Amino acid sequence: MKKKYYKWLMALAIGLFFLPGSGCQGPSSQKASDGDELRGTISISGAWALYPMTVKWSEEFRKLHPRVRIDISAGGAGKGFTDAMSGMVDLGMFSRGFTQAELDRGVWYVGVTKDAVIPVINETNPFKEQILKRGITREEFQEIYLNQSITKWKDLLNIQDDNAIHVYTRSDACGAAEMFAEYLGKHQENLLGTGVFGDPGIASAVKNDPFGMGYNNVNFVYDLQTRRPYPGLVVIPLDLNQNGKIDPEEDFYDTLDELNTAIRDGIYPAPPARPLYFVAKSKPGRKEVIELLRWILTSGQEFVDEAGYVALPDQVIEEELKKLN
Amino acid sequence: MIVALAIVVFLPFVLGIGLYLQSTLLLEEQSLFRILFTSQWQPMSGKFGLLGFILSSLMVTALSLLIAGPVCLLTAIHLTQYAKKYVLKIMHPVIDILAGIPSVIYGVWGIIVIVPLVSKYLAPFFGVQTSGYTLLTGAIVLSVMIIPFILNILIEVFRSIPTELTEASLALGATRWQTIKHVIVRKGFPGIISAMGLGVSRAFGETIAVLMVVGNVVKIPTGVFQPGYPLPALIANNYGEMMSIPQYQSALMFSALVLFVVVMLFNLASRIAISRFETK
Repeated sequence: MKKKYYKWLMALAIGLFFLPGSGCQGPSSQKASDGDELRGTISISGAWALYPMTVKWSEEFRKLHPRVRIDISAGGAGKGFTDAMSGMVDLGMFSRGFTQAELDRGVWYVGVTKDAVIPVINETNPFKEQILKRGITREEFQEIYLNQSITKWKDLLNIQDDNAIHVYTRSDACGAAEMFAEYLGKHQENLLGTGVFGDPGIASAVKNDPFGMGYNNVNFVYDLQTRRPYPGLVVIPLDLNQNGKIDPEEDFYDTLDELNTAIRDGIYPAPPARPLYFVAKSKPGRKEVIELLRWILTSGQEFVDEAGYVALPDQVIEEELKKLN
Repeated sequence: MIVALAIVVFLPFVLGIGLYLQSTLLLEEQSLFRILFTSQWQPMSGKFGLLGFILSSLMVTALSLLIAGPVCLLTAIHLTQYAKKYVLKIMHPVIDILAGIPSVIYGVWGIIVIVPLVSKYLAPFFGVQTSGYTLLTGAIVLSVMIIPFILNILIEVFRSIPTELTEASLALGATRWQTIKHVIVRKGFPGIISAMGLGVSRAFGETIAVLMVVGNVVKIPTGVFQPGYPLPALIANNYGEMMSIPQYQSALMFSALVLFVVVMLFNLASRIAISRFETK
């Protein structure tokens, strides 16, 4: 239960916060320049997808500016958006493209990092080798997830077998599903398949079903320590040039770092790769908020990799930094 | 005291009116009929048909009551009529524990135990291939969750029946089972109805445990091995993520209102049933 887990983490974080002498008296605080002007409380809420990254950033930022307090809570991209627009929080975390209705409300936003959604199958899938060899094209995913004209493994591969593809999708509205749907040219509500709750939900459903197919955020497929996919899950390579086989340049799923490079360089398509944003009612006026965003877009980018996200390309960072001036 | 009472009395009304006000945006744009009796749910293209969700909710609730109802009735009869005193003493804490387990744990248990059970054994037995995330799975999890609530009331109901009645019946030469059938169950009937009514209300509104196993596919379910998508799951799945889109939020608020009204109707119906039987 990802959400539960984060709630506990949050409770723990808040608990630690009130422990005397926690957090900001470490040796690292000596790095803070004397006469550090920055102080105040920054409140952030919103998307689950950006939550772990934001927690990491706030920890690092507070090593430099111990007098700044950062409160982070999660609850979904829509909640972050609504909280930010109503002024309940300084920044909302947002993990999908903006709908017209949202843009009409005059939201101010800045992109801070990227992540990606990748399709997965079960490790014990009897046709694993063939699928790894040939990959699956965007059109084929459309037939599987939207039109149901491909319902059995034999429709995809040249085999005699009657097993159905057990298609899994996310039941909860989320950026991941929305991005996967946008890759196929639709919205989350058009994706067919059994709806499972949460990212870990799909991962475990596919792990337990040899004929299952699903999609996950990169963080839920790759182990951040070993940088390889978790046992039980196999990434479906995308046949990008649609020649019916996976060429060497399409084969970048072995390690998290290879995949992240492919995402950053745009070889892995976006969507399903996606930018993650911070949103606000208007350009933040408070110095500490602007400084936090500036730090995230500069020094903060070095923490992105280890947290399993993808750094923004340099020219994009230039663009985003302009929004802060 | 009066103030506290007033707060409690007005609370449901305040809730209902609040939900109604929140859902006016949708009701202004679309006819009530179209929302309630079409099953196309595509908010991004302005289609807000709730029929599939409403039917899923009703089906999963009815199924769970079919499973839990008889089990509870027989258990309660056994505990109050046949079993030794100490068995009931043991059962009370067991029931309380069952009632106290958080929904999420039931949901996880559903995913770990019931989903594979349905996909590997139950469905193949009926010649169906399924992933295991079905209406039936949801109903099984739900039935286990509502058992303690129904059982508690039933035990109280059967214990409150005067022993003179059973003694009189036995004295007239009725067997133990005849007495149970014609005296205990008949006398306790309003209580049985209200116990079931409470079970239904609880089942209809249960959210997280059901949404974890029920499959959440938007279409009208045609069988118990089909996935379903109950109303509470719809709200829980989409609220946090989509509340920034006014129309979407309004549609979710309206489904909450539907949920609210249906539970009120259940309560009303069981009240009426009880009063009918009591006046007899």
